[in-house]
Amino acid sequence: MATTTAAISLTSDLLSDALSVSTTTTCMKAGTTADGLDQMDTGYIEIPTGDVYDILSLQTSDTQIDKANKVYICNESTDETYYVSVTVKAEVIGRLYAGDWMFIPWGAEHADSDIGLESSTGTNKITYTLFHEGRTLLAS
Amino acid sequence: MATTATITISSPDLVTDQLALTTTCTMTKAGNSTDIAQTSGLARTNFTVGGSSPFKSKVIYRSNDATSDGANKVYLKNLSTTATEYFTIFIDQEEMGRLYAEDWAFFPWRSSDGTEETFIITIANTWAAGDTWDFDGITTTAANSTVADIAAQIHAQNFPNWTTSISTAAVTFTARVSGAAGVVTGSTAITGDTVTTAGSGSAAVTSGAVGTRSESDIIVVPSVATTMDLEHMLFYQ
Repeated sequence: MATTTAAISLTSDLLSDALSVSTTTTCMKAGTTADGLDQMDTGYIEIPTGDVYDILSLQTSDTQIDKANKVYICNESTDETYYVSVTVKAEVIGRLYAGDWMFIPWGAEHADSDIGLESSTGTNKITYTLFHEGRTLLAS
Repeated sequence: MATTATITISSPDLVTDQLALTTTCTMTKAGNSTDIAQTSGLARTNFTVGGSSPFKSKVIYRSNDATSDGANKVYLKNLSTTATEYFTIFIDQEEMGRLYAEDWAFFPWRSSDGTEETFIITIANTWAAGDTWDFDGITTTAANSTVADIAAQIHAQNFPNWTTSISTAAVTFTARVSGAAGVVTGSTAITGDTVTTAGSGSAAVTSGAVGTRSESDIIVVPSVATTMDLEHMLFYQ
């Protein structure tokens, strides 16, 4: 099986006691410890202003639905005023500012659970990766 | 030192070229380089909900907890070690995904707040020492017959669901949490208050506005009724 790990380290001096949180997860297929996520889609894209653009979409009856998919998105822009609004199923989760990254589970519980990005300032440069266990391919 | 979040994604065998990705972000306020200033601290919440599926959810963070459209960040981790156990994460009513055992998530949070219910009561007419006004489980007993003093007594109370401000004999109530709680039923009516007076004392509502619900509360639902634990932390402006 493929073994993919994702680790996070959070550090802060906001509190009296220095904050240092680190944890690692191995990206497994849904509900198992025996089989890791073994497929990956990745991309680098420029998101212009003016609309919500889906970077990850689902097909009806897609096999990704209700799985343990993971999505990594990073805003590679360098102008601190730049951000993209991140949506899942048309619900705005939050604003990913220049230099920020996010890592979320994507259960994709419905065929319209697309992940979209909307630039509200200039053109934002985005990298993204989806780790998953299979998807429905469209026949040509 | 500031507040930083570093992610490392690695895999020796998912693709031919070894995957090794590391990114660090320094958490700043929206649109500038000022360090983010507040955190909830690291917390652990137990879900032992009982009942049958769909199991009872919990609100982990309310939109009132952070600045709307700020550069807020949320960290979540499923502490379960049973592979089949997962939390389903919702933002408002929409599902983000399933956080399986030992999985974690880190994401920006819009924290789009609704509006809080608000109303004004005006203490008027003839009050006497010993008269009372009950609201939100709190009883205020008039120390004398002066309406401004009684309003000041009400303002000095700590209501569990409301904050107050005062102007002479008028006390403005504002809900601590946004939403249509049903207490304010119109521009001049609320439910649940009681005046007990020996004279003609009144605490009339002179204005009011119904609230609206938040649209980005973070709601978590466990996959089993038995014990599951979620670790979580919020960084906010």
